[in-house]
Amino acid sequence: MIVKETACKECGVIVNIPKKINFSQYRCPRCNALLYRRGQPFSYIITMAVTALLLFVPLTFLPILDLDIMGLQSSSTLFEALWMVYKDGFYFIAFVAMMTGLLIPVIMLILLLFILVPLKHGYRPEKVSLYYRLYEKMSDWGMAEVYLISIIVSMVKLHGMGTLHIGLGFYMFIFFFITFYITTVWFNPDDIWLDDAVDN
Amino acid sequence: MQWITDIEAGKQLCLHCRKLHPLSVHRCDRCGSEVHQRIPHSIAITWSLAIAAIIFLIPANLLPMMVVKSIAGEDAGTIMDGVIYFLEHGEAGIGIVIFAASIFVPFFKLTVLLYLLLNIHLNRSHRAKFGLKLYRIIHFIGKWSMLDIFVVALMVGLVQFKNLATIVTGPAAIAFMLAVVMTMFATEHFDPRLLFDTELKKRKHKNESNEGNTHV
Ligand SMILES: [Zn+2]
Ligand SMILES: [Zn+2]
Repeated sequence: MIVKETACKECGVIVNIPKKINFSQYRCPRCNALLYRRGQPFSYIITMAVTALLLFVPLTFLPILDLDIMGLQSSSTLFEALWMVYKDGFYFIAFVAMMTGLLIPVIMLILLLFILVPLKHGYRPEKVSLYYRLYEKMSDWGMAEVYLISIIVSMVKLHGMGTLHIGLGFYMFIFFFITFYITTVWFNPDDIWLDDAVDN
Repeated sequence: MQWITDIEAGKQLCLHCRKLHPLSVHRCDRCGSEVHQRIPHSIAITWSLAIAAIIFLIPANLLPMMVVKSIAGEDAGTIMDGVIYFLEHGEAGIGIVIFAASIFVPFFKLTVLLYLLLNIHLNRSHRAKFGLKLYRIIHFIGKWSMLDIFVVALMVGLVQFKNLATIVTGPAAIAFMLAVVMTMFATEHFDPRLLFDTELKKRKHKNESNEGNTHV
């Protein structure tokens, strides 16, 4: 049996993972950290990533909420809400919220496509390690799910102020998050390196 | 069971792509990241960011998070005011969510970070596994403290009725966000393997004193 030697990223112990793994995940024997998770074929991941990106497009113009106070109407998309914060002069908040809530997941999906589409067609993009490094660095900072829950909290908060309608953008955002999440779970970074690659 | 760690084996792991390298390597040949056996200056950076975050949490909790301007006048509310408002208006669920995300999570994260740092300084190797569990928890819940910021942003964006009512971001929001971002960077810079290295340090120490005894 061919064995791959690695170390646990959380406790530092040296572990040997059998290379032809026939189980779906491998955990550290000492601290139980997840060291290997079998990925799905690249074609599945590409399809899911493209779906997520397509779902994101309408988010730029579909309102998430409509608010009606005494005949006055106000509706807002996810971007417009942050734009108002920017206009109030809170640039840092608007920037961080825009990046973590909306743009980082999108950039991650695009980077993933940059890596996987060429690999799927049999050649290695020159900058694959750069793309992967960016993808990996961003993965801790994507907060689409937090933004999603914050919409629900805002709905409850605004409930007393007037009549509230949930916009199509909100449902789109839910589907965007679900497809984004599935994409990242299906992707196993080990599959993109030549020395570990499995046939896709 | 006796575990062999990367330090004993003279190896170092690339944290980005998880390739194991010999100590002579400085840059990972697979993903191009810098390779270190442990995150450089992990303890010093974690300490400083944690302390900075604690300082920013003070204005974050005392200043208003958002200001509601309406015909009735201006109403500025801190984070805690928001929680109390919901508890009083029969929305206990939302009140608890905001309390958990904006007050409990930041304090819990910072307490855990300080506890982990102390465990390393005091060489408490028997606490390593427990510490790692706590570390995983704060790593997982960290981003949820951003919840209230997003809520404020949405409210500001939605409630713009020129004369009737507008909502403006309060000064606490920026302090709060700085505290959250710094805590996240602190968690990122903390190397949980240091918790387990304390055992190695102890073992070495014991061996040395044993050797000393036999020579006497
Ligand atoms: Zn481990
Ligand atoms: Zn690497």
